[in-house]
Parts: sequence; C-alpha cells; structure tokens
Amino acid sequence: MTTDILPAKVKRGDASDGGASLGSRLSRIDGPAKITGAARYALEHHLEGLCHAVIVQSTIGAGRIGVIDTTAADAAPGVLMVLTPDRIMPLKSATTWLDTPGPEGPYLALTNVINFMGQHIAAVVAETFEQATAAAALVKVYYEETDAIATYDDPRSGEGMALDHLAVSWGEAEAALAEAPVRIEATYRTPREYNVPIEPHGLVAQWSGDKLTVWEPSQWINGMSRTYAEWFGVPYENVRLVSPFIGGGFGSKAFALAHGAIAACAAKMLDRPVKLALTRPQTFTAFGGRPATRQTLKLGATEEGKLLSIVQTGANETSVDGVWGEPLASVTALMYATPHLAARQTVVPVNTVLPSALRAPGENPSAFGIECAIDELSYEVGIDPVAIRLRNYAEEDPHAKKPWSTRQLREAYEAGAKAFGWEKRKPEPRSMRDGHHLIGWGVAAGTYPVRRTAGEAMVGLFADGRAEVASSGIDMGQGTYTILAQTAADAIGLPVDQVEVKLGDSALPGAPVAGGSQLANLMTGAVHKAALAARDELIGLAISDPNSPFRALQANTLSVADGVISSPRGGEEVTIAELMRRLGRDKIEVLRDTLPETNNSAAEKHKTYTTITRMRSPTEGDYSLHAWCVHFIEVRVDEDFGTVRVSRVVSALDSGRLYNPKLAESQWKGGIIMGIGQALLEEGLVDRRKGRVINNNLGDYLIATNADIPDIEVISVGVPDFHASVLGGKAVGELGIVGVAPAIANAVYHATGKRIRDLPITLEKLID
Amino acid sequence: MSKSLTLKLAVNGASHELTVEPRVTLLDALREHLGFTGSKKGCDQGQCGACTVHVDGERVLACLTLAAQVEGRAVTTIEGLTPEGADLHPVQAAFLAQDAFQCGYCTPGQIMSAVACIKEGHAGSDAEIREYMSGNLCRCGAYPHIVAAVREAKEVMS
Ligand code: FES
Ligand code: FES
Repeated sequence: MTTDILPAKVKRGDASDGGASLGSRLSRIDGPAKITGAARYALEHHLEGLCHAVIVQSTIGAGRIGVIDTTAADAAPGVLMVLTPDRIMPLKSATTWLDTPGPEGPYLALTNVINFMGQHIAAVVAETFEQATAAAALVKVYYEETDAIATYDDPRSGEGMALDHLAVSWGEAEAALAEAPVRIEATYRTPREYNVPIEPHGLVAQWSGDKLTVWEPSQWINGMSRTYAEWFGVPYENVRLVSPFIGGGFGSKAFALAHGAIAACAAKMLDRPVKLALTRPQTFTAFGGRPATRQTLKLGATEEGKLLSIVQTGANETSVDGVWGEPLASVTALMYATPHLAARQTVVPVNTVLPSALRAPGENPSAFGIECAIDELSYEVGIDPVAIRLRNYAEEDPHAKKPWSTRQLREAYEAGAKAFGWEKRKPEPRSMRDGHHLIGWGVAAGTYPVRRTAGEAMVGLFADGRAEVASSGIDMGQGTYTILAQTAADAIGLPVDQVEVKLGDSALPGAPVAGGSQLANLMTGAVHKAALAARDELIGLAISDPNSPFRALQANTLSVADGVISSPRGGEEVTIAELMRRLGRDKIEVLRDTLPETNNSAAEKHKTYTTITRMRSPTEGDYSLHAWCVHFIEVRVDEDFGTVRVSRVVSALDSGRLYNPKLAESQWKGGIIMGIGQALLEEGLVDRRKGRVINNNLGDYLIATNADIPDIEVISVGVPDFHASVLGGKAVGELGIVGVAPAIANAVYHATGKRIRDLPITLEKLID
Repeated sequence: MSKSLTLKLAVNGASHELTVEPRVTLLDALREHLGFTGSKKGCDQGQCGACTVHVDGERVLACLTLAAQVEGRAVTTIEGLTPEGADLHPVQAAFLAQDAFQCGYCTPGQIMSAVACIKEGHAGSDAEIREYMSGNLCRCGAYPHIVAAVREAKEVMS
C-alpha cells in the first residue's frame, strides 16, 4: 500500500503567475492526479478476495422488526452471508467526539428497533456487487409498525427540549423590545438539507489478525480510527485508516458510521476484505444532513433603525435517539451591536436519522434569520439595507465583549457595493425591471468563527535534496496538499516542486478534524514549525560536521534558497543534496506539534487529534476571532412564471491572509454556489405519514447545476491576522455559504415585494 | 442471471477480454473488472454525470450502459484521453489552470463531457457551455471555473 499521490516526475501546477511561495496562485499540486484519473479514491482499492456488501434499509418509519426472512437471499447465487440484527456481531460502545462514554453497550450496527424510514436493517455480502444487490432485494421483512412522527410540523412532536447551552442573553431583551418605538416580528424556516458529496459514502475493510485497515473517505482520520478501534476492542494503533482523496464531504465524512461498522464486521466474520458502497438513495438516511430549522425573530429599534433589542426563539429537528442542536443564535448574537438580546432554542425529536453537520452548521440558518430580519427592518424605517447594517455595526464582539482580532467588514461593504454598483439601486420594491423580468438587488452579511486545535507534522529532507511533509490531515478539495507544500518550501528554502506531501493516513502524524474551517490554519502552523526545525537541523550540521564545507563558520549565517545553501561571506555554494551527501546522511526527519509545551504527552496528543475537547473557541484569549463576508446579489424574477434566476453575485470576504488565493477563491465560490442552491432549490421532502425522504436521489433533490450559476466575483478584503493563526489566515471553507440565502431572499423581496421566509424560494410561493 | 458472458471490449485503444454477468454495467466493468477507476460512480442512476465516458466518440453515461452493449465499439475513458506519456489534453490543462475542480470526484466526467461539448460545437458561448455542461453535477461548485476552462480549451483546440 502506498499513499504517494504523485510520481515524482509529474509536473506540478503552473506557478508562472507569481512564483510558488505562500500567498501565490499556484495550481493545485494534486491536480494532475485528479484530471488524469490517477487519483485513487477509497472504493478504488482492489484487494485479493474482495467481496461486496449491500445494505437493506427499513421501509417503515417507526416500530420493530417482527421477522426477517433471509431464506431466499441466503440461497441466492454468490451470497456469502446475510447479516441481520440477530446475526451481526455485537461491538463495544465507542466514546463520543466529546470524549464522553457512548450509549450503554453493546453497539449493534443493525437493530430490530426501527426509529426512522431508511434505517439499516440487514446487509448481504456476495462475491460480486450484482449478486449482493440482487440478493438484497430478496430479504423479506415483517414489521410491527407504530406511528411515526415525520416532521416537527406534526403537532404530536410537541415543543421539544430546551438546549440551555445554546441560549444567549444580555440586558433586558423583552422589556427593551416592549418599549422600542419600532418593532418587527417574523418567522424564518429552512428545510432539511443534504450534503450530497458526489462521491457517495462507502469503504473497503480488511482484517489481518486483530489489525484492521479501512479505505474510507474521511474528514477526520484520527477520530474515525479511534471509533473503529473502540468498537472492536483493539488498540488504536491496530487500525489503519487510509484516505488520500475524498470526493467531497461538507461535514458528512467526519464520523465512523453504522455502514462502516457493518463492513468491518462482515470482513471480520468472513475473514475476507469487504467493499461496501452506499447507493445514492441510501446516503439520504445513512447519516443526517442539516436539520429543518425554524426561528422567530423580534427586533426592536429606534425610528432611525438603531437596534434596541433582539429576541429569538428557535427550534430544529433531531432524531428520537439523539440530540443534534443547530446553533441558531450564532450569527444573531454576533453580527450587530444591540444593548439587549435574548435567544433560546429547542430540539424536537422526530423519526429521522440523527441530523449532522452541513457546511456552516448554525451560522448558515442563523444568518438566514437575522440577515433577512435586518433587511425587513430597513424597509420598515426607510433606510438603505447597507446603511442600516453599518448603523448597527458591532465595534466589538457584543456577546463576549472582546475586541475583534480583525474585522474587515466595513471594507467588505465598501468594496462589494462599489464593484456591484449598489449606488444605482432604486430603493422601492418592484422598481427595477427588464421586460418580463423584475430585477432585485439584495445584500446580506455572513461570518464564520476561527476554531483552533493543535496538530502535528513530520518534515523530512532527503539525500536527493527533496523534502516531504506528512500528516494525517486531509484534502477533500480545500487545497491542503498545495498550501502545505508551499509552506514547507518557503520555510526550508526549496522550490515547491521539490516538496512532496503525504496526507490522509492514520499511520502519519496526527491531525484533528477537517471541519469548522480550521485545518488549513492549524496545519500550515504545524508544517511551518517542523520545516523551520528541519532547516535549522540541516544548518546545524552544516556548521558542525567535519565533512561540511561550512564547518569553519563560527555562527549560523547561512541562508537556504532554491535548494542551495550559501554563506553571505561568499565562498562555496552547495545544494541541499550535495550537503546531505557530504554529511553522509540519507535523511533528516523532524516531527513537531503545536500543542502547549507544558502539556504534550502522548495521551494529550491522542485526545487532541481524536476528540474535539481540545478545540479552542473563537473567544478563548484576548480577542474574538471570526471571518466575515458580504454578498451582493442580483436576481431576475419572471413576472408571469415566478421563476427566480440569480444573475449576478459580488462577494467581498475577509478570511485574513490567503495562503493560495486561487484555491481560496474556489472554496468561497463553492460555498456561494451551494448557497444559491440552498436558496432556490434544495429541500428534503418528507412524507408526512411515515417520514420517508421522498426525493432521495440527485434527480429529485435538486442541487445547483452549471446552468443555474452566473459568473461570481469574489474580492478578498482580509489582512493577515496573527491572533487567529500562526501564518495569519482565518476561516475560508464554510464562510462563503453564510449569508447567500438571505441575500437572495432580500433580492427577491426587492424584485417582487414578496417576502419569502421559508426556503427554498420556489415559484409557487411567489405566484400564489 | 448468473450465466456469464465473455466480452471483448475496446477500451482506450486496447482490447480487453472479461467474463461478466449480462447485468454488469459498463461503469462497473471499467471500475471493478478492468481497473479503469478514473470513471466515477456518483449515483449509479444517470443523474450526476460522474461516469461520463466516450463510446465511438460520443459522451455516454457508463452507469446506464451495459458492458455488453459496447462490444465492438470504441470506449474512451479519462485514462485514454491522450496517448500514454503524452502531454495533457488541452481540456485537462485548462481544468488545471482554471482550478475547475476541488475534490476532483466529478472531474473525469466533467472533462469527458467538456471534450465532447467542444467537439459537438456546443461551446459557442458561456451560456451554451453552461447548458451543455449541466448534465455533470459538481457539489464543490466549480461551475464558473469549468465554464472558463471549456472556453479556454476551445480556443486552444480551434
Ligand atoms: S454515476 Fe452515472 S450518472 Fe451518476
Ligand atoms: S470537484 Fe468535487 S464534485 Fe466537482
């Protein structure tokens, strides 16, 4: 097995547009592998003796299995095993990502109790994929069905459970609201939304004795390895998880899930490697996406539009067997200066798979509420939507009462408005048109916190003068391979094409979850540190080793550039390769972590990389750390048909320093595009009787296509923020989507005079 | 159903013999039996375009095509877009230069579609490129860069 992603001779990205060092627009170094088909994704690993597992899911929304009749499936050609709740091996309960004990064990990846439609209830393993698929259709299930509560709109679901840890308040919000001269109130709703990465989930699992190897797309190598190890009661080191390429995740590939346990159980029970690929429809219930949310916002303000109070009550759906809180106040309690605020929310259990993280969990629906509400207020008091936002600009974090580390949000309004031509906007709704099309211009802001966890990296220098960076951190398209190569090349003094990067393998040094937009900042920090240490070690040898041409130098005055070591006093210049040869070294390897030196034991490292208990909040320390953005969006609404097209987007974003603007812009645009789909298309449709997700495929669950997307202009207004990270970057990946849907809803209001507070904005809501 | 067929498939200019059940799709034949894993499976039901390959020079969804249907026809996958050892195809080069992908999973299908889109004469304007590239979904949202890459490649190729 190898995790090398590129043969050494492959030409790396074109750096002709400005060198290759950090901050330049180097093309992705893993690009050649991806555009030639050479990149191997998890399910593309072929092993001797591989067999195939196919999952069977429940067809009722609640109840229990009476009988599973596997007679026909057992006898079908090629079938090796049919796993059912009674046949699957019991596993140990694994600890949670918060490092707390899991539910009381044992853990059964298949159970007789049915909590939602589409729950895994059996798995067929056969010699071929076709045989397993055919036999899966022969599994007969007799249920004892009970009533399912499909959604939180079913009155039987009740008010739900208060999540006190998500409540925020300061001042006397209710009293201040009652006294405010201007008051508005509105309820905003977002539907269930799904991650749908184009690579569906799945894995190849192989046991060798008590050692398990898993090829599985993963946003969190160390966290998932821990879960597998705990399930099977083997030491953590016995699990190897390999994931050099991930076909998109958007939050959905951070955890080991039931299908992973099923495949690993099957591999163990059969003593053969097993490949399990979820079908696309199965991905809609094998893990949860963003839960449906609703929030009521009450704003109190002066006649001049200055906020006096914000009162928010919210709720989101969760499953009957778990709690997923989607933090609905995360932007409400951060974006604007208000002397009074109170926000609380509940979770309402329904018969669904447990919801989970989808790009900017919390910030995304939170911004939909507050950024629409402030827009409504702007019309109420007759002030321009940009002006009202600047009037309520928060000069410090209104909740934590700490200064922002950096907040280039004013600059973002200014740059975005200018590029968009906002000053030409006519304020009244329905005042701009082009033939049949009503034109609307809307604006909304967004934000995403800077989260921080320590990571570690190995940097090696080799006899041929090349360097290697190794980490279990992953690249699912954010550009990790590329920016880490740039970081190491800069720190050592090497051309970037002399740096090889290995990622996504639990055998490599540890990294925390690639989520919360934290990985780039923390791994560039770790690689920078390790690469400088490697360079120092090389130079130390150069001035001390008797075989070195620089041995006579008293102090370290050497410099390394472009792979060549030289002394400012002139004299010999030697390449790193030549020096290594003279020193008789075949490699220098340096491992560095960014844990505090007072607490960097092996146990602490393990905890840091496999749980989120060591993730530092954005307000830990003297500053409040956040990335910011503003979206200016034009829509064209067909007056007769109510169809909405986004025709222009200008977004100005503050992600601090960009390590590679070309790749950061791609991520921003990707977020904006997902936001356009969220605003106009995406909605999990749930059958009210049994809770089935009806549109569980890519033809019916609509995501944006190429034809839905106009040109998008993104403008970076960030400055390096060294409070936020070692090399000055802030959040990128999740920032772009935040604020897009409200900007579109606001534009639709401006175009039509209709305020749609319920996503997605579809034509029947506009023409009724 | 378990009765197997022996097929001779011409993939990327070479002949491959394989024995499979008649229900095996071209996509699974390529990925599971012949080792051409460049073609991706995103939905297995004709909705995403990740499996796009060329059959006799035309774009085809390999997940909706049975392997047995392409006997005697020329199949080209991303691995065979250019002869071995040759430079990148102009469309591949443009995808790299324009950063027309992130995770890379939809990318081989996008590139195969883009090559066909240009050849069909459907890359005349950005609007046309958008329309004729809309059968290939990209959840990472590389669309504007894909349009730019197709436009650039078309210029290089003409
Ligand atoms: S895999 Fe063929 S269209 Fe999606
Ligand atoms: S690059 Fe990830 S789906 Fe297109």
